[in-house]
Amino acid sequence: MHPQLETVLREAEKVIAGKRDVIRKILMALLAEGHILLDDVPGVGKTTLAVALSRAVGLSFRRVQFTPDVLPSDLTGFSMVDQATGEFVYRPGVLNGTNLLLGDEINRASSKTQSALLEAMEERQVTVDGKTYRMESPFLVIATENSVGTTGTQFLPYAQMDRFLVRLSLGYPDYEAQMTMLRERQDANPVESVQKVLEKEELIAMQRSVRAVTAKDTILDYITRLTMASRAHEAVEVGISPRGALFLDRMAKAKAFLDGRDYVTGSDVQAVFTDVCAHRVLLKNDTDGLSVGQVLDELLKKTGNPDRRGLFPGIKKK
Amino acid sequence: MRKRRIGYAVCLLMAACLYFFENNAGTRVVLFCAALIPFFPGLRPAFFSPDESADGKVQDRWTVRSFIRQEPEEPGDIRPYVPGDPVRRIHWKLSAKKGELLVRGLEILPESAGEEEPAFSPADRQKKKTVRLPVAVILAGILLCGMLLLLIPEAGRGAQALCNRLFSASESVNTYAYRYFHVPEHQSTLLASGLLLCIAGLLTALAVMLRSRLPALGIMAACALFQIYFGLAFPAWVNILLCGLFAVRMLRQPASRRNIAAFCTLLLVSSLLTALFLPGVDAATEAASENVRDRLARITEQIAGTVQETPDAETETRRIHTRSLESGTLEAETEQEFRLVTVEEEQISRPRWVNWMKVILLLFLAVALLTLPFAPFLLLNARKKKAQEIRNVFRSPDVREAVQAIFRQVILWLETTNHGAGNLLYRDWAGTLPGNLPENYADRFIRCAADYEESVYSDHDMTEEQRRNALALLEETKTAMWKTASRKQRFSLKYWMCLYE
Repeated sequence: MHPQLETVLREAEKVIAGKRDVIRKILMALLAEGHILLDDVPGVGKTTLAVALSRAVGLSFRRVQFTPDVLPSDLTGFSMVDQATGEFVYRPGVLNGTNLLLGDEINRASSKTQSALLEAMEERQVTVDGKTYRMESPFLVIATENSVGTTGTQFLPYAQMDRFLVRLSLGYPDYEAQMTMLRERQDANPVESVQKVLEKEELIAMQRSVRAVTAKDTILDYITRLTMASRAHEAVEVGISPRGALFLDRMAKAKAFLDGRDYVTGSDVQAVFTDVCAHRVLLKNDTDGLSVGQVLDELLKKTGNPDRRGLFPGIKKK
Repeated sequence: MRKRRIGYAVCLLMAACLYFFENNAGTRVVLFCAALIPFFPGLRPAFFSPDESADGKVQDRWTVRSFIRQEPEEPGDIRPYVPGDPVRRIHWKLSAKKGELLVRGLEILPESAGEEEPAFSPADRQKKKTVRLPVAVILAGILLCGMLLLLIPEAGRGAQALCNRLFSASESVNTYAYRYFHVPEHQSTLLASGLLLCIAGLLTALAVMLRSRLPALGIMAACALFQIYFGLAFPAWVNILLCGLFAVRMLRQPASRRNIAAFCTLLLVSSLLTALFLPGVDAATEAASENVRDRLARITEQIAGTVQETPDAETETRRIHTRSLESGTLEAETEQEFRLVTVEEEQISRPRWVNWMKVILLLFLAVALLTLPFAPFLLLNARKKKAQEIRNVFRSPDVREAVQAIFRQVILWLETTNHGAGNLLYRDWAGTLPGNLPENYADRFIRCAADYEESVYSDHDMTEEQRRNALALLEETKTAMWKTASRKQRFSLKYWMCLYE
């Protein structure tokens, strides 16, 4: 594992125990310059984790609790008349100057607010009154969706789900982890103890080196075959989009980088495949209780892996 | 090695000649068997596999050889003279320089020794001396038998009677006319055949005993040429024995008892089958086999019920046709005779192009029969070559390529012994490895899988250590897997995948 990111991980683990895998994935998304959709019940430590991460990396952190009343201009900022000068002055919104944005319960926001956020996520810029404002870099949105208490909410449309790099789930801590958490929080908030171990500039440099990670043709071929197989699968209505393939590539690169390598292997792709692709696949109605996870597992099992490619000619494959 | 190849080529040439000039179907079958002998897996005579090296270790010989050929001037080849080294191996120039006798080394290169006179160590010489005595005895025995055959008039007449029998047999298969010996009508051939058998047995023993394979080859060649030149048709079993004699000598030395037993069984079975179903021209054998075939026919008749008859209308027209032929000697009265006539009639009424078709078909068959036995030979050789090419990659200066090739070889070993994990990534194969592997094998496997991934998915320079690790893993896999492999898997590993030497 990458030594510097290892320290970041350790800092984040101070506040949330036993969730190493999810934190790793969040770090990967951060490195791959993508956004995260957290599918979780309330109170498992999403905000705590996000705060801890932003402290460890020295990012500016903001949090938006979405309700139907939150307006697009709350996010993007708006222009208002300065009484003194009589001119329109731009008042920045939540998005401006934020590195890490936690959008809680995004499914409760109105559709126009959702769209505004997703536009900003994609373009990394907001335009108000014909003026374009660049966002801070790095920019990571962690949006959460509550799977319970969803009455009167607007589910994210499929097209907008596609813009998230990964969909993750923190889940409840196990016995040990919860005991540790309770013990640690008796007298102090451990978030305070999180040290800044990585500069923002260093993170940006890392993002650049993630882009430079080698992905050989065999890997790209594997990604292509996987995504195309998902589109051809009989139980699948909508398969993995080309953007999904691109994200898969980026996420695999980030995984490789996090593991301290500068080349992508087949195992990287397989490791991130479900997280990157689960929310991009729409099953048909009559699938006999087949879940998306099962379909993706089947795809992994059936698609010839890149390790196998290029056996010596003349030697029969079994 | 080269000698063996020449021997095999000569044998095949002879076989081809006999095949074309011999009318005796039995002999043809024998030749066919002889051509098949190298492919009999248990025997595996050393036609195309080199001998085991001097220290008895089975190793990558081709690699060693090609390696040495590339660098012939390696100083390691020179070693001090020890008594028993052949004089012409002495490196005079270097010896003069160093002031002591030096020879060009042999021990790394056992193959080159085969091409020249092998260097006998003192122990070998001892062995050669002990071999000489029986050889002398056998030669004396042959001479004695020959003298007896010439000197005892009874034996001489018996031999002449035997020759007469051979002539008459040969006349029935070719157009030659032989000058018969004048011998009494009921001449006993017991003594003569006994003596001749003695000579044949002694010759066989001589051929088997001698270090060189040339006597066996010589006897075989002489007999074959003799048969071809004089148009003589030896009974099929004689030819089988000849081929057998030759093939025994071609076995990998020293031949194990099991190999010889298996081979003898093959020989026995093929000679029995030949004698029964393709009797050739030996009158006695033919009569016996006729008898057997008749019985077989009767049994099948009983099993099948009634004999199938030709339809009436057709029979009738043929009958009329037969009468119009007015051949006189052949009357189509009984069903038995009718069949004879129809054969005769067919030969008369068949258009000429049918004959040509038959010739073409025969030619085609001959070519097919002569080439088919070599198909597996060529295939095996091609596979061996491919396997060797892959093994050569193990030592290639490009370490990345080498690591890839070695690890793929490991994978192939696991797959061939049914321990593969299908479409799983190689690093995940560690979870499904069998239990009989050495301790920590899985860890080493994962490490090598990571090296493999690095070699496949990156452009990094790889280190020699990674190559060594991979090679060590391959060796471990080989030993462990070979131990537990089933017979079928071993066969596949050795002959089909050519992974194991």
